[in-house]
Amino acid sequence: MDRDSLGLVRSGDYLTVFIPATESALVFRVKSRVNEGREVFNYGPLPITAGTSLPTYEGTSTTVPADGVLPARSYVRDGISFTSITGMENVYTKSDIWYLGEDDRDRLFHVKMYVYPPIIRTDVQIPSKVTQGRFQRERVITGVDSELGFNRGFIEVIHLPMVDYGYRFGNDTNLNLKTFVKFVYGEYLIEIPRNADLIFDIVTRKAPSYWITLPVAYIDTKIADSLVRVYGFPRDSLGFKVYRADERSNAVKEYTYILKQLKV
Amino acid sequence: MKWLITIYGTASPTDSGASGDFTLTNTDAYGTFSLVRIPKGLKAKVWAKRLAGTAGFTLQIQASDDVTVTSPTWYVIDSEHMANAGSLELEKRRPIVVQARTGKEGIKLSYANTTGAGTIYAVVEVELTDEDD
Repeated sequence: MDRDSLGLVRSGDYLTVFIPATESALVFRVKSRVNEGREVFNYGPLPITAGTSLPTYEGTSTTVPADGVLPARSYVRDGISFTSITGMENVYTKSDIWYLGEDDRDRLFHVKMYVYPPIIRTDVQIPSKVTQGRFQRERVITGVDSELGFNRGFIEVIHLPMVDYGYRFGNDTNLNLKTFVKFVYGEYLIEIPRNADLIFDIVTRKAPSYWITLPVAYIDTKIADSLVRVYGFPRDSLGFKVYRADERSNAVKEYTYILKQLKV
Repeated sequence: MKWLITIYGTASPTDSGASGDFTLTNTDAYGTFSLVRIPKGLKAKVWAKRLAGTAGFTLQIQASDDVTVTSPTWYVIDSEHMANAGSLELEKRRPIVVQARTGKEGIKLSYANTTGAGTIYAVVEVELTDEDD
């Protein structure tokens, strides 16, 4: 599906958030984008404080020499959140500008994070401190501290309400890097379509929707609680299961049952 | 992913025949560094060089397959000599490429001076990228 020039979903279009761990999808219609035309947010340096101790790829530790500097050969083990900056003191929680509460179920943040220098490794823990990168089921945990399972300089995620995300960064160069973060984000007012046939068409990709896969290989209780308490999904159906194209009747029956319980 | 870094070095050799490595700086780096280690899978592409200073100054770009050992083995991959005092600015249509196969590879800038004391400057534009072209 076409997105706008910033890669965000246009008002009126559909957004599908696929969760690999449950083989299910959340289907939203973006009713509007609250920050239309004002999507670029120059956050500033990474919220890493001078004096913080970070692990290194050599198995030792090092100290952050100045605010916002990611030391040579170091990485962030436990994901960090983006704290509020000047003028943002009234956010839901000052420790995480992307965190939304249970009552904010009618909105979603679509966040595209660009980190400079772009060589910096990135991944995201959902929720914070739960590393989601996997290789061969649970046999290998991957991420910025591993040889695989990370991006460089970029991450795109949808922030589910009531879930704290932990962004992780790694610097495998030998330079102490001064960092900078730019966000391109959409604050969407959303609803879940009430037509089970339409949802089936979207999850079987017959109907257009922008798909984004959340890097969730393991469903933590915080994610489950969010889907249950925020949207009203039954605990045994955390999303719309992705059925085969020839299973419409079963899918529609199940989706209809789920839709009756949803709050959005 | 592409990251273009402009690395800058200056030195003041005191006599002819002096040689050494530049201590480098870059606006994205906190503090100085002596070499650029190339993360595994990436390439370092040297696109441009700018030299200034005394006559007889030679800038060498050197590469090593393993900068993690105590005494890396370096080999020269590019050399530029200034016959006259002044400045030289060289851009390459095709870059010098160093591929990081293990993540231990690196490059550094060195100088040799043949005609006596003076201050020399070197600026090299390096792109670190995972793209093939």
